[in-house]
Amino acid sequence: MLLLLFPLLKPQGYYFRMFSMMFLWMGLSSAWNITSGFAGYIDFGAVAYFGIGNYATALLMTKAGLPFTSSVLISGILSSFIAMFIGRYTMRLRGAYFGIATLAFAEAVKQIVFEFDRTFKVTLFEGSHGITLPIVHDDRFFYYIFLGILFFIVLTAFLIDRNKFGYALKAIKEAEGSAELAGVNTRRYKVASYALSASLIGILGGVNAYWLTYISPLDVFSVIHTIHMIVMALFGGIGTVFGPVLGACVISLANELIGAKLLYTYLLMLGAILLVVVLFLPRGVIGLISMKRSRR
Amino acid sequence: MEGEKAVVALLLQALVTGLLMGGVYAAYSSGFSLIFGVMNIVNIFHGELIMIGAFTTYWLFTLYHVDPFLTLPVSILSASLLGYVIQRFLINRVVEAPPMMSYLCTFGIHLILANLALLAWSADFRTVTTSYSGEGFSVGPITVPLARLATFGIAIVTTFAIYWFLEKNRHGKAIRAASQDKEMARLVGIDIRKVYALTFALGAGITGMAGGLISTYFVIYPQMGLPYTITAFCVVVLGGMGYIPGALVGGLLLGIIQSLTATYLTSGLSVAITFILLFIILILKPQGIMGRGAVE
Repeated sequence: MLLLLFPLLKPQGYYFRMFSMMFLWMGLSSAWNITSGFAGYIDFGAVAYFGIGNYATALLMTKAGLPFTSSVLISGILSSFIAMFIGRYTMRLRGAYFGIATLAFAEAVKQIVFEFDRTFKVTLFEGSHGITLPIVHDDRFFYYIFLGILFFIVLTAFLIDRNKFGYALKAIKEAEGSAELAGVNTRRYKVASYALSASLIGILGGVNAYWLTYISPLDVFSVIHTIHMIVMALFGGIGTVFGPVLGACVISLANELIGAKLLYTYLLMLGAILLVVVLFLPRGVIGLISMKRSRR
Repeated sequence: MEGEKAVVALLLQALVTGLLMGGVYAAYSSGFSLIFGVMNIVNIFHGELIMIGAFTTYWLFTLYHVDPFLTLPVSILSASLLGYVIQRFLINRVVEAPPMMSYLCTFGIHLILANLALLAWSADFRTVTTSYSGEGFSVGPITVPLARLATFGIAIVTTFAIYWFLEKNRHGKAIRAASQDKEMARLVGIDIRKVYALTFALGAGITGMAGGLISTYFVIYPQMGLPYTITAFCVVVLGGMGYIPGALVGGLLLGIIQSLTATYLTSGLSVAITFILLFIILILKPQGIMGRGAVE
């Protein structure tokens, strides 16, 4: 069992931001893992909800003047409703097709948010202008928020892993046909997990908007965020509770260290990691560790 | 009277442009459909094959001043070879594994190929501008660009050629047999590994050719692959997964719809429209418009 990080009282601002970023990613990949890892429906469009969360919070705070907490909560609920609608139909597709359909969904949302104002001659999403949120000069605030949300997400994953809901999801992952025959309402469970993942990702997106204070469609809806969720969860161990956390830890550090300077090389590395994991380490690092343990 | 004529002319122009585009969509989606139909692989680096074909044409044109249409065979070969190598060493390992692994694998390859290209060629947009680029002829009020017409012609011919190959040729029939029932095909003596290799090489080749054709009238850049992959997926769902003539119908239909969107709304929403269309088909008729596709 892994120890949870306790909030340490670090003095320097940079560390707060770095840890905040790591907590954000650990949360995102864990949330993503609930649908993709437990239920086995690999979501290639998760960034859509991240972006929706970002935008919903940004718009609610700037245009409707709502406070931070309510904006974020509404973002999460909105994400889950959208996910329930989208999931209802896309989850009819088998794994691989679900992947591309969700990818197309995410790209579509990106384009819509980007082009909406210009096309329909309104001022809503602000398209390429982006949205600027009120500034908060408190790194520690975000540190605790991200940590708190991460804790909540991992706890949720942990509980799901142990109870009937998780059992149903895993049954879906292993043998969906048999699960249906055994009377499990697979559609309801699948969509529920998808909506749950979406709402958590949306909430994180909302906090992200406030944290960054400036968002634009091409940033927050970029497919690179989904790629990160996928590679982090896979690397650490998809389908496990702590795998995504571990994976996110390692890879977000790598991002921090080399991602800024050598972007294309870094992306290449991600692709290579993905291939290595798929071909040789399908259960990720956690899988490797537990394999070694069971050999003793 | 003049106003009416203009409205009709605009509509006809949109239709013609869409039809021409659709032919190309059909061409490169056939490859995607073929690979899925036979090997059950959703090829997420499909767009990169287009990119390779396009860049092959570009470099041969820029460095050696060879006409883009003449270098098509080279584009076909380069994409085909790349496809064969990847299939033999990477895809083969995951073709019999759960679908999740195979499309994560192709996704990783997508990342690697796209970023290798970025590292090698930089993100600059490039074009292939020949002496006849932009030339067209007029049929009444409608302009038919030469490059697009030639592209359309070649694409249609190739699609029919593939279809003929699958129906009449011995190897083509072996491919179809393998896609219908792998075990039975093995029993009658068909070498599945050779079938896979041929299928992938063929699918990749035709995709590369489409890439070469596209370079004659669109800008090309290393990250161009992903939107094409999404489009190919949508064309194939529209027409029926694994059904080649369906790719033709789906391609033409999508081309026309996208053209109408671009004319009457904005071209920026093309992916959004593609996805919405995909969504509708999934809900209403998952076997594709002609009802001959594989359903999951």
